[in-house]
Amino acid sequence: MLFIDLLVQGLIQGSSYALIAVGLTLVYGLLRILHVAHAGLFTLGAYIAVVVTNTLGSFWLAAVIAPPIVGLAGMLVYRLLYEPILDQPPFVPLIASIGLFICMEEGFRLIFGPYGNSFDEAPFSASLSFGPVYMQGVEAATVVIAFVLLGALAVLAARTRLGTAWRASVTDPQMAQSFGIDIVKVRYLNFFIGSALAAVAGVLVALLNNFVEPTLGSVPSYKMLAIIVLGGLGNVKGTLVAALALGVLESFGTIYAGHLIDRDAIAFLFLIIVLMVRPQGFFGKA
Amino acid sequence: MNFKTFLAFAAVSAIALTGSAWAESVKIGFNAPLTGFAAADGKSALTGAELAVEQANAEGGINGKTIELVVYDDGAKPDQAVPAAKKLIGQDGVKIGISGSYSGSTRAAAQVFQDASVPYISAYAIHPDITRSGKYVFRTSFMGEVQGRAGAKLAGEMLGAKKVVLITLQNDFGKSLAAGFKSKAADFGVSVVNEYQYSIKDRQFGPIVSKVRADNPDAIYASGYFFTAGPLVKQLRARGVKAPIIGQEGYDSDKFIDIAGPAAEGVIITTSLDRDSKKPETMNFIKSFEAKAGFGADMVAASAHTAVKVAVAAMRKAGTDDPAAIRDAIAATRNLAVSTGSISFNGLGEVTKAVQNQVVKGGKWRHHSVIDDPALLAPPSE
Repeated sequence: MLFIDLLVQGLIQGSSYALIAVGLTLVYGLLRILHVAHAGLFTLGAYIAVVVTNTLGSFWLAAVIAPPIVGLAGMLVYRLLYEPILDQPPFVPLIASIGLFICMEEGFRLIFGPYGNSFDEAPFSASLSFGPVYMQGVEAATVVIAFVLLGALAVLAARTRLGTAWRASVTDPQMAQSFGIDIVKVRYLNFFIGSALAAVAGVLVALLNNFVEPTLGSVPSYKMLAIIVLGGLGNVKGTLVAALALGVLESFGTIYAGHLIDRDAIAFLFLIIVLMVRPQGFFGKA
Repeated sequence: MNFKTFLAFAAVSAIALTGSAWAESVKIGFNAPLTGFAAADGKSALTGAELAVEQANAEGGINGKTIELVVYDDGAKPDQAVPAAKKLIGQDGVKIGISGSYSGSTRAAAQVFQDASVPYISAYAIHPDITRSGKYVFRTSFMGEVQGRAGAKLAGEMLGAKKVVLITLQNDFGKSLAAGFKSKAADFGVSVVNEYQYSIKDRQFGPIVSKVRADNPDAIYASGYFFTAGPLVKQLRARGVKAPIIGQEGYDSDKFIDIAGPAAEGVIITTSLDRDSKKPETMNFIKSFEAKAGFGADMVAASAHTAVKVAVAAMRKAGTDDPAAIRDAIAATRNLAVSTGSISFNGLGEVTKAVQNQVVKGGKWRHHSVIDDPALLAPPSE
């Protein structure tokens, strides 16, 4: 029964990784930028959840406004940081992104203080039990929300004109442009959706930990890189599989190998082993 | 003399006058993490130290001289602590240094102070090697191992637990606590059934909670800081783990209760600050700190306050700026009453004082019990 419990915990963790990592892989697919500052946007989502709930007294309001605000912040990051340096070699936007991420962490510390923030009254403290599995309501919600949102994203990409335009821009931006697709609009949309999903993950993590601190994004900032490489850079389906696989692996690893290896090191050990066998990641093209 | 020359003359004499006023002050060096992941503890420590300096200055400073606290940020990193220590000694000419920082940075800075033969006091860093840097280095808080032994007594003798699970933070703090706990567990009839480790970056403990639930222990001994222990305790209780939880001074902040919420109720910790103390030094500290900081006192603040008080008392007694004399005065400290109890040092510069157990009751840290067993709590002396 412990086996099922650990598996479920792994899927919960993996779902939250998936929500964050999708935005990163979308940006990489479109612009070939490793958008490290994405983890800062995730933290922003978590802060909005806590601060808005505590000041205005409504968690639902906070949960509804956090994704669009963070989505807009993501668009701003593209416009102000990446667009002016798109013609530079890839390490330039990467360094700029790391710089922005550090600025965001210190910015959160200056604005919200170094102590971290918690909900005055933590919402949703209910727990659920399914036979041997006993989980927090928020944990169940994390899995459901991740599947619904990422499912909707898949439908959007596969079934709508917007999705077609987006996929065309990923495959061949110049050709897409010559067919009348506004690739700048596609990029804005890309940043909006990816950042909004990260904000959803931020809201859920804020609920789960009841604690949001300036450095909340520091682990995701590098672990998400391992996930998108595992998934085959830019490959959304691969990213989801990698996120869930890593969540499960960490869950068992924490218990059975925790005295040997740090939980965060598991991601990179897994990455190294997978890359030795499949250098293109799970679903990347060889 | 025309007007311009007069102005220049006035400016020069003003600078000279301020200069002479500065010479009338005594500098105490202070390094703490004011940025980065440990910035919260750095801020508490700094506020506690500032309070001690203000109080000492109000009492007339050190033999008539004003005390000035010279502060550097070390980010809790050794590579920032070393230049900070060098600046404090070389550039600022401090006669004594105090660490309001974690073990890594404190160890690094301690060596610099020792090499320069300037006294250095670790306020709350727990690594055993800090005082082993040499005879100029002291510590006013418990070593991890000492506090771990107190935890074993609390679990076995005071709570009657037989089967205990350890959840250990994978750093020098957590590991030395666990080592201390395990060294005395058998003496108090406790068997450690399992130990799980987590990293300081972890905030989600789902898998560990699953396993602890399956282990069904009589008590949980979990090391950590308020920012790891808060989420851990919340998640343990949210998933139906009801065993008593024993923590340590790392939990000792109102932030822990804010994060864990109702789940914090009943958590017991071994620490240095007794919120319900009737001792005037402690009561006065708790009240003054709240007034100054705008939030409740915590262990880190009390420890930094204690370290500054020890330094000031020694400098008053030494009556000179000579670091060697100040060092001897610190070593000779006996039963000095401060906010964290009554301070004496052993030959290695380790503090000997009683452990204060606190419990969360009605959303507040309250007195639980005291462990004052000199044999159990004896720090290493070499």
